[in-house]
Amino acid sequence: MALHLKLHTQPDVPLEADCISPDRMQSLKNNEISSMTVFHGNRQVKLGDFFDCKGTFDGEITIDGDLSNIKHIGASMSLGKIIIEGSVGLHTGAGMQGGEIIIEGDASDWLAAEMLDGKITVKGNAGHMTGCGYRGSSIGMQGGEIFIHGNVKNETGHVMRRGLIVVGGDSGDFTGVNMIAGTIIVFGTMGIRTGAGMKRGSIISFNEAEILPTFSRNCEYQPTFIRFYAKYLEKNGFLVDPSYANGSFERWSGDSVEINRGEILLSKHKNK
Amino acid sequence: MIEKTNKKVVEENKNIKIVHDATCTFCGCVCDDMELHVDVDEKRIIKSKNACVLGRAWFAEHTIENAPAAMIDGKEVTIEEAIEEAAQTLVNAKFPITYGLSDTTSEAQRQAVAITDYIKGNIDTTTSVCHGPSGLAFQGVGESTSTLGEVKNRADLVIYWGGNPAESHPRHFGRYAVTPKGMFTPNGKKDRTVVLVDVRKTKSAGVADILITPKPGKDFEVLWALRALVKGVKLSSDIEKETGVPLEILTDLAKRMKECRFGVLFFGMGLTMTRGRHFNSGALLALATDLNEYTHFVAKPVRGHGNVTGADNVVAWQTGYPFGVNFSRGYPRFNPGEFTTVDTLSNGDADAALIVASDPGSNFPKKAIEHLKNIPVITLDTKTTDTTKLSHVAFKTSTYGINTSGTVYRMDDVSITLRPAFESPFPDDEKILKSIKKRVHELILKNSHSGGASGEAKVAAAVNPL
Ligand code: SF4
Repeated sequence: MALHLKLHTQPDVPLEADCISPDRMQSLKNNEISSMTVFHGNRQVKLGDFFDCKGTFDGEITIDGDLSNIKHIGASMSLGKIIIEGSVGLHTGAGMQGGEIIIEGDASDWLAAEMLDGKITVKGNAGHMTGCGYRGSSIGMQGGEIFIHGNVKNETGHVMRRGLIVVGGDSGDFTGVNMIAGTIIVFGTMGIRTGAGMKRGSIISFNEAEILPTFSRNCEYQPTFIRFYAKYLEKNGFLVDPSYANGSFERWSGDSVEINRGEILLSKHKNK
Repeated sequence: MIEKTNKKVVEENKNIKIVHDATCTFCGCVCDDMELHVDVDEKRIIKSKNACVLGRAWFAEHTIENAPAAMIDGKEVTIEEAIEEAAQTLVNAKFPITYGLSDTTSEAQRQAVAITDYIKGNIDTTTSVCHGPSGLAFQGVGESTSTLGEVKNRADLVIYWGGNPAESHPRHFGRYAVTPKGMFTPNGKKDRTVVLVDVRKTKSAGVADILITPKPGKDFEVLWALRALVKGVKLSSDIEKETGVPLEILTDLAKRMKECRFGVLFFGMGLTMTRGRHFNSGALLALATDLNEYTHFVAKPVRGHGNVTGADNVVAWQTGYPFGVNFSRGYPRFNPGEFTTVDTLSNGDADAALIVASDPGSNFPKKAIEHLKNIPVITLDTKTTDTTKLSHVAFKTSTYGINTSGTVYRMDDVSITLRPAFESPFPDDEKILKSIKKRVHELILKNSHSGGASGEAKVAAAVNPL
């Protein structure tokens, strides 16, 4: 049986619970888990003041309740699995080094910020700055995979260096801004200024998009690798219409204000 | 004529004091060449020589109000009682926030940072709602900068982007950037090319040699295109369709930028507060950086409040970050969007607020104001405002630069000492904040001793004797 945490008291100010991580909980008894320290605003309190703890850790932690005011869950985790039954607050999976997080509801801003490895799946929407670098950081996500079935807001994949971000819905402005490398796939429409300042990396969309004047159109072709990606995405719960995966894409390269080695691929399939 | 003579006689009979080299703190220009004529008996400034229309209004409207110096829930109390209540409120809060600070002295700002540090709160300044995006861009891109004195003496290409200084900073043109004669610009305006980039034709357009009006919300694209042109990248003439600016104009501007001796980009909130925000500022800062491959180019935000630059400086030298700083874990963390005041209020995070010299109750989003109404608020302000009206504890304080001396920072980070004109019966912000800090510290030590003195508090007492 998995370790089960159930929120019994809603915090009245944000709760920072970076102790909710398989790495930290794997060798502890339930009473020790309940006495782990969390920050309720500026007060150090016990995890048990907010959560009931049942079951035993078998590699998995399930968390129940509205966690939208709880931050840093799964931050820096390197193993195991966390399943969040509802929505979750800021910085979930930030700096994650391995393992898996599944979020059944929505995720807030800074999801998987500066992630190094591992996998995150969000069944709902995610906020701003998914897989990004923190302010002042020159590198964001450095590896791992983020699958979001809903929409994301602005600056998805800001300064990302490696890894994969897949967005089932729409993405906001500045998708892949200042991207260094890695792949972003957006099924829906992207906001404005996609790939601004990108050095390398691929941004793929199944829709049209506004392209900055500093990108240049190269060609229209049928990239083989997208068919492989489509198979992989299907395995991860995304439905990919074969006519998109097998169809033509327009390739733009940029950003010419940087080293111009990035690419934006836009599906030319018209039956939308 | 008779009326004029009578006025003169009346003035001659008055007890007038003249303050030379006083400073106007109304806007970020912080002009320090004021000559103030003060009616000592009536305690008001009757003439402010050298001030612009905004400065004159600022000096004229500051008279001594007949109002209580301290109130709790709208009832007059002694200052000591109000300090006790403020300290208790802040110490008992789990997520106290400090906000404002742009219209007070740096000495007061310093006390506010110390209080926030003690109470493990969250500190933010009005920067987060004006040039906060520029603050973010500085972190991401860097800043190629100079003083306004250098601009006056050297700049031969002056570009204003997304601002209307003629109305917001009336002396910016005359004192620093357009008309003054400098060491290497002996003929003033004749030695300079002035470019104005704005989505609409404002009163500032009159000084511009070149006026560029992009489509609204297209500043980023124009800046990005200029970066590309400066780097020698060829662009399609479609750029006009997208941005509203013809390619020839952009090419000409890029050429002028590369060929000038000393160029400056001044940017305002028309750039920082439109869609793209910190990326707009970042694009402009990156353009200035790119241009340094060819010539000397600097970029400067045109700051609004008198000492908002001081707030950035003080918060930065005390915490390492300019605004949006949180101490809840005992050390400073910077995260605009999470720790900026609009967010801490709109998300319902804050459970107490210390507001210094600012009026978020009238200019914040509705959701933030609603939350402000539901938590205990402590205000320090020279006037009655929407925020002081909803406050649990309200202090009336004296006005910096008029009643109080101290230090302020001009928009180019140059510090200036204030020369006050006349005394106020109200204490200054620094004095009140110092007293709150002292009491907060005593309460924290008491609480930690009663719970078995924590090492942290003991260390704090040892290293921070008050
Ligand atoms: S420009 Fe600004 S600081 Fe100078 S006198 Fe006018 S309002 Fe005061």
